Amino acid sequence: MAAKRARRPGETAFTGLLLVVSLFLLWSAYGISGFESLSSAGAVPLATTFAMVVTAAIVLFKTNRMVPAADEKLGHEVLPPMVMVFAVLLLVYALLLEPLGFLPTSFLFLVVAIRLLSHRSWLYAAAISLLSLALIYILFRIVFTVLMPPGIVPEGEILSWLRQATGVRF
Amino acid sequence: MDAVFSFLTVYTHPELFALVAVGTFAGVYVGAIPGLSVTMAVSILISFTFSWDVLPAIALMIGIYMGGVYGGSRTAILLNIPGAPSAIATALDGYPMAKRGQAGEAIGITTVMSFIGGFVGIAVLAVAAPFVSDFALSFQPRDYMLLAVLGLLLVGSLAGESLVKGIFCGALGLMLGTVGMDPLTFTQRFTFDLPLLQSGISFIAVMIGLFGVSEALSQLHDVDKQAVRQKISRIVPSWGTVTKHLPLSMQTSALGVLIGALPGTGGDIAALMAYDHAKRVTRNPEREFGDGAIEGLVAPETANNAAVGGAFIPMMTLGIPGDAVTAIMIGALFIHGLNPGPMLMVEKPDMFWFIVGGLVLANFCMLFFGLTGIKLFVKIVEMPRAVLVPLIMLLSIVGAYAVNNSISDVYWMLGFGVFGYFLKLYGYPLGPIILGVILSRLLDDNWRRAILSERGSLEGFFMGILTSPLSLVLFLSVIFIFVSQTPPWKRWRKRREALRARIDPAKPAKVTTNKGDLPR
Repeated sequence: MAAKRARRPGETAFTGLLLVVSLFLLWSAYGISGFESLSSAGAVPLATTFAMVVTAAIVLFKTNRMVPAADEKLGHEVLPPMVMVFAVLLLVYALLLEPLGFLPTSFLFLVVAIRLLSHRSWLYAAAISLLSLALIYILFRIVFTVLMPPGIVPEGEILSWLRQATGVRF
Repeated sequence: MDAVFSFLTVYTHPELFALVAVGTFAGVYVGAIPGLSVTMAVSILISFTFSWDVLPAIALMIGIYMGGVYGGSRTAILLNIPGAPSAIATALDGYPMAKRGQAGEAIGITTVMSFIGGFVGIAVLAVAAPFVSDFALSFQPRDYMLLAVLGLLLVGSLAGESLVKGIFCGALGLMLGTVGMDPLTFTQRFTFDLPLLQSGISFIAVMIGLFGVSEALSQLHDVDKQAVRQKISRIVPSWGTVTKHLPLSMQTSALGVLIGALPGTGGDIAALMAYDHAKRVTRNPEREFGDGAIEGLVAPETANNAAVGGAFIPMMTLGIPGDAVTAIMIGALFIHGLNPGPMLMVEKPDMFWFIVGGLVLANFCMLFFGLTGIKLFVKIVEMPRAVLVPLIMLLSIVGAYAVNNSISDVYWMLGFGVFGYFLKLYGYPLGPIILGVILSRLLDDNWRRAILSERGSLEGFFMGILTSPLSLVLFLSVIFIFVSQTPPWKRWRKRREALRARIDPAKPAKVTTNKGDLPR
């Protein structure tokens, strides 16, 4: 089955990378306890990484024999700009999450993401983001009581103030 | 008597009842919305419910699981986009029916058949699991080890493009599971002297990355795809239609339970195999398969819901997941301090009966929600992906963070998300990875126990396999799966099929579905 499919752009490089990483892990697994005994801590890691090396090598060999896909480009079908942009966006989100806090970071992320994907106005993106963020906040922070990094918004204090002011336990 | 009380727990506690109902409702939508999968929802939910008691957490997951396996069929019928991998076969005949204006009928028969299949699965679970667990008490460590290997090979060979890629992913998962301090000898494994790696990689982070972010990234390819509206006619199917297809539904339910109960393989594979089965046994369908045959809906939909009950059998009795979702549930039980396996059935049979009770309730809820609320459904499913995709990403990050309140888990999650995106793109199955991570500890422990009990001798280990019937069967199955995927065997099979087709032209050669196309 695999032989019939055309090779996608970057597939050889990816498989090659898998093989290199597998080899490195095999070497690292050997370092755990060598060939000391079959029941040592390194036995299963050695076996699994060995399986990884062998299978990655076979896949690389098969991939090399495939016909390259003529109608696919690395920057289009495999890694379109949008995917790259979102990978970066996610990274920025993760970086800002602790210093800035959950609410502002999520809001910024949603606005930018929805604006990029929907091609609608900033106002539309902001309104949808605000609405969905409010829902998520109520569901996860209040119903599931998940703790999120507060950052610059003192939402914990606001919540407890609200609880006291309204007298409602939620 | 205790069993009856535990079975009724969900019905006597309003909050548990509500959680199953809400879970099923949510599951139908999660399953139906393309891009949201049950595996994704359950893995994100674990991180949100881990501060809860175990019963409410399990109740919610059961509902989502049952509803989600069914929900995928809705979008398969209405939009020709299977909402979940288990509904791929449903789209083949469901969409042609909808195009002819029979969308309501298709949804109705699908719902009733899912209900029937679900019940068969639960019944088999309730009857078989106690026996299996009694039997499992006599399992040797080597049997557990062989079962784990068997599960990984099975899912690897059935789910992906090729067994080799499946094995690679399974081995990768096993390797990821061993990262950190070895619990037996306190040796560091794959930690590279980084304190970050000493306690291992959080499996929830791996899971959310693979099933949440990587899926969301793949969805970016077709953000602009528009949904096509279908008219919906009557929904509740006639009694005659149901009874007419009852024999087929029983066969495919049995098939579904069996596939579900095999370690590793779940509803997606069960549905495809059932569709294949229906094609072979249906002599004179009213319409051709692929052109809106009702049999083409009955078979996959009974099978995938029957597989739910089936998947719980190895999970509850052996601690070996029946599919990706039960793998995640095992993780959830671990988090709550329970250790699934034969001892759980002995020590806490109430847990088992609680799950059975929850599944029955979820099945009824599925029937109810399936036959009502179609209008609301159509609105929610048409939620633009431009909003959906960012929300999945947001929830993935929040979920990964929430487990340990640690930002490094978020980085792991993102790393695995990007990695999973490429794996999917190049035809590697993701299921075996998560199965490997979950099974890693079990396999490692049992291998070492098995080999220690033979005083480190490999001959002794193989003699042990040869002298125990169970180990021998398991061992031969492992060998068989392996051999059946090698090129010489495949060539031999093809020749035999061709020969049979020539002898009996009425029986067409078995059509193999290209499983490489599975959106995983």
